[in-house]
Amino acid sequence: MTTTISELGPRLSVTDPAFSITSDEVKQLREQSWYATTEYGIAVLRYEEVSRLLKHPKLKQGSAAWPAHNGVVEGPFAAWFDSWVLNKEGEEHHRLRRLMNPAFSHKLIGGLVPRFQALAAELIDAFAAKGECDFTAEFAEPYAARVIAIMLGLPEEEWEIIARESATLGLAMGVTLKQDLPEIEKALERLYEYADALIADRLQNPGDDFMSVLVRAQRDDDSLSEQELRDAVVLLIFGGYDTTRNQLGLAMQTFMQHPDQWDLLASDPSLGGKAVEEVMRVNPTVRWVTREAKETFEFQGLTIEAGTTIHLYSESAGTDPRVFGEPSFDITAERRPHYGFGGGAHHCLGHFVARSDMSEALPLLARRLRDPRPLPGDRWLPDSGNTGPITLPISFTPAP
Amino acid sequence: MKITVDMARCEDHGQCAIAAPVAFRMNDDGRLEHDGEVSDAYAAEIEEAADVCPVQAILIGD
Repeated sequence: MTTTISELGPRLSVTDPAFSITSDEVKQLREQSWYATTEYGIAVLRYEEVSRLLKHPKLKQGSAAWPAHNGVVEGPFAAWFDSWVLNKEGEEHHRLRRLMNPAFSHKLIGGLVPRFQALAAELIDAFAAKGECDFTAEFAEPYAARVIAIMLGLPEEEWEIIARESATLGLAMGVTLKQDLPEIEKALERLYEYADALIADRLQNPGDDFMSVLVRAQRDDDSLSEQELRDAVVLLIFGGYDTTRNQLGLAMQTFMQHPDQWDLLASDPSLGGKAVEEVMRVNPTVRWVTREAKETFEFQGLTIEAGTTIHLYSESAGTDPRVFGEPSFDITAERRPHYGFGGGAHHCLGHFVARSDMSEALPLLARRLRDPRPLPGDRWLPDSGNTGPITLPISFTPAP
Repeated sequence: MKITVDMARCEDHGQCAIAAPVAFRMNDDGRLEHDGEVSDAYAAEIEEAADVCPVQAILIGD
């Protein structure tokens, strides 16, 4: 006996502006059922089902048609979006992934750790004496943008351009894509100029850095074309900036609710890596991972029709009491893996970078910003899709 | 060369099967299957598979 999606409840209105993916409503539904129906398709709420569907052979990544769904079918943005390795499937995807992977290896990233540490210290020095800051504007944004500048070998003082143009590109992920298109395409053009200059430079002056490795990426006599390279560089700026900025802000939010864990992190910086994992389990910026059914198939008694959009709720999975017990936040605990970096063939390409830069930043922040507390005036992105603080004013006691 | 995968760590993301299909495959259930021994001629791609594994579950050599 199987059921089809249209026959059953529970239902979530995820396009309602008041919808919050971390609300009690979602947690109550999680107790009733492993999934809910939504305006888009289905939302998967429990850990085991998210884990299996994330890597399910009958599903593909689900956002390739996003521009077309919003009436954008041609032009530079549509072409760039279509070029994303995230929006490719099968051998076309695997080829790009094979060519891009070596530049993102943890071995190459490891050499950048001292620069991440120096950057975090410099940023904290600039505001610490005040005893308060807007954590987004004064730390998360410059840190995320300058990490990208360091990786690409761009002048770090140009971080505001990276931040601004990436934020403009981010408008493309919203429902006002079509009306914002002229502005989005201007930002895209600006970032392509950076990419072109970088590629030309590394072809002339090859080194051992990330950008050089990417430019000379080669496998079985195949390599990235110039267009593929410039598309990839712009994607990495865009994909790396927003997510890191948001995830750092969410980390601060979570730690302000758990001062004992902040103290622990300050006293033992080697917990930085585990702190990142624990934050991404309970408060991931990527609130849902999108998949689409390639063909009709059965899953746990449910018939999922070809073309159905499936949102895998990462925070709901990460706090599922069936797997993680009572709500808790403990940076020393051994946990099952979280899905804040997605998973399967499309597992986040930049996760070693993100893990490395955040695991350096958080312990240093914990040592220098004692007893952080929220101040009024915080503003947040909607609590769905990709979320995080737009502004996050905090106060703290400075420490050396 | 010898390949060992820590199956307790493996999460079946399949990045190794993309990097080195000569030794790693995902079956119809989406689970990893791999060879225990491959020719040294494939050393470069096997090393890439080990490098790219998100949970670093692949060990090369004895």
